Amino acid sequence: MKTDSEFLVATNLNKAFDGVQAVSDVSFTIGRQEIFGLLGPNGAGKTTTIRMLATVLDPDSGEIEIGSYSVREQASDVRDLIGVCPQDLALYEELSAMDNLVFFGRMAGLGRGEAKEAAAGNLDLVGLTDRASDAVRKFSGGMKRRVNIAVALMSRPELLFLDEPTVGIDPQSRNHIFDTVLRLRDEGMTVLYTTHYMEEADRLCDRIGIMDGGRMIALGTPSELKTSIGKGDDVTLEEVFLSMTGRSLRD
Amino acid sequence: MLRPILIASIELKRYFSDKAEIAFSIALPVVMFALMYGAFGGEPSVNITAHVVDLDGGPVSAEFLQRLESVDGVTVELHTGADADSALDRSAILTAFVIPSGFSSDLQSGAPAQITVKRRGHGGDEGQIAAAIVSGVAQDIASGFAVRGMVLSVLGDGSDAARIEEALAPQDGAPSVVVRESAGEESGDPTVGIVAGVLTMFMMFAVSLNAQSLVVERTNGTLERLMTSRLSVNQLFVGKFLASSLRGAVQAFVLLILGFAVMRIAGPGELVQALAYAVLFGAAVSAIGLVIAGLARTRDQAIWSAVFFTMLMTTFGGTFVPFEGGIMEVISRFTLNRHAYEALRDILAGSGGLTEQGVGLAIMGAVIVLGLGAARYVFRTY
Repeated sequence: MKTDSEFLVATNLNKAFDGVQAVSDVSFTIGRQEIFGLLGPNGAGKTTTIRMLATVLDPDSGEIEIGSYSVREQASDVRDLIGVCPQDLALYEELSAMDNLVFFGRMAGLGRGEAKEAAAGNLDLVGLTDRASDAVRKFSGGMKRRVNIAVALMSRPELLFLDEPTVGIDPQSRNHIFDTVLRLRDEGMTVLYTTHYMEEADRLCDRIGIMDGGRMIALGTPSELKTSIGKGDDVTLEEVFLSMTGRSLRD
Repeated sequence: MLRPILIASIELKRYFSDKAEIAFSIALPVVMFALMYGAFGGEPSVNITAHVVDLDGGPVSAEFLQRLESVDGVTVELHTGADADSALDRSAILTAFVIPSGFSSDLQSGAPAQITVKRRGHGGDEGQIAAAIVSGVAQDIASGFAVRGMVLSVLGDGSDAARIEEALAPQDGAPSVVVRESAGEESGDPTVGIVAGVLTMFMMFAVSLNAQSLVVERTNGTLERLMTSRLSVNQLFVGKFLASSLRGAVQAFVLLILGFAVMRIAGPGELVQALAYAVLFGAAVSAIGLVIAGLARTRDQAIWSAVFFTMLMTTFGGTFVPFEGGIMEVISRFTLNRHAYEALRDILAGSGGLTEQGVGLAIMGAVIVLGLGAARYVFRTY
């Protein structure tokens, strides 16, 4: 049962592909205005979990509630609440950044004027106002990542899914993304952030769920997770993961 | 309806921003058209050179040469007897016409005259055609003298010969009736068939572009993004269908305008009707492309499925040279391109308007409805 402070409740989620269990009995909640991190190595089940939460995949079993809506039964209403920034760039590279943002804004139900206004605001947020008219294919990897996030914000979501938003980008763009995520949280947005970079999760997230092999193996604040392995809180999340699984996050 | 239009408009914007795609879909058909026109099209009438030896040099032979040269497409080249024989020996020419000495005086006196045809081998196609034309002109001149002879013989020597000549003068200027022959089979303006064929073929090949449309969205990640927006799958399909139909319309418009402006095929009315039919054909092809797009999981699957389909249709459809008779004609009637080619050719040639294409229009409409339904049925987001 979801409480008022909980914006997302996922209960006993399961998903298999061709007999391979990608997500197994995963449950967690995310509070309003919280940055929740899903931490785990590649193949841990993070992206499959996000896809189920984002109405893209139906879980084989389990329930998801976002806001006051059931993902299974009220997917259309849920889509009005969420913004999705997928792991892979999801942009029309031959079009300008502005055209991409306006198009996806209109797909989210904004009028032409509203979409242009929102696009300008979001490009400003990610620091790309001066490149608004340039084709995305001319952008660096980091700039494309920032446009990818800006597009996810076009629906003015209450809950933003960021799936590995900093993969393969330069430190400057990474810091810009961190600042953006924190600013969005401060403005009232709830964020689900997946990463396999421990320092990112440690720096950004209010709470963290650690996934491995499709299961949620630990859940808590960074401080709670560090103390849980009995070595005080002067350890890294890398050491926490190593202690729990016997191997490195980067394996 | 707004979201499908937005999907179509962004698709067209991407299309027009990609110079390579424009080149392939519009410039290549134009190049193809130019090549085919150069190879098979152009002026349908034949150009013949009649090689003539005039040993007479009289007024009637002069009139004969003048009339021969006035026949459309015929050029007279005069030779001496020795030159003509030499040219024939060397096969430089294959036929020569010799007007004998006394040709004019014989005809004027009412006596028969003859023109000798000298040939190298069978005389060549051009020579045989020239012989037919020479024969027609000669008979025309001879008939004039025959009429004069008959009139004089009926009226007798005491008649007013000058007045008879005056009365027959307009007859001399009357156009000759000659039988024109062709070296090959000519059936109307071949340009019309070329435009109809190139248009049909390139719109068929657009199947492969449409077949890739959803795979590209999938691999770009934009499909997932679209599916988490307010866009429904039905709206996505209608948008893609609109986009590919409009792209086909652009192709058709460019080729038809080119045909009209450069080759002077058809009139504005026929062009509008042909464009309407081509747009419908493009829409039917788009629907088939979307079925492949709905089934394909990878770009390779989409491309090769589309290639197989278009090869099948073009092989059995017999575009450019439609199968006539036998089982192949029956099979070809099951292809969209056969119907499209014949309809476009007839509309452009003015031998059958849009309202006379009921069967073809019904088939296109049915393919659109069934194709869109099937595409939606087989599509899976993941």
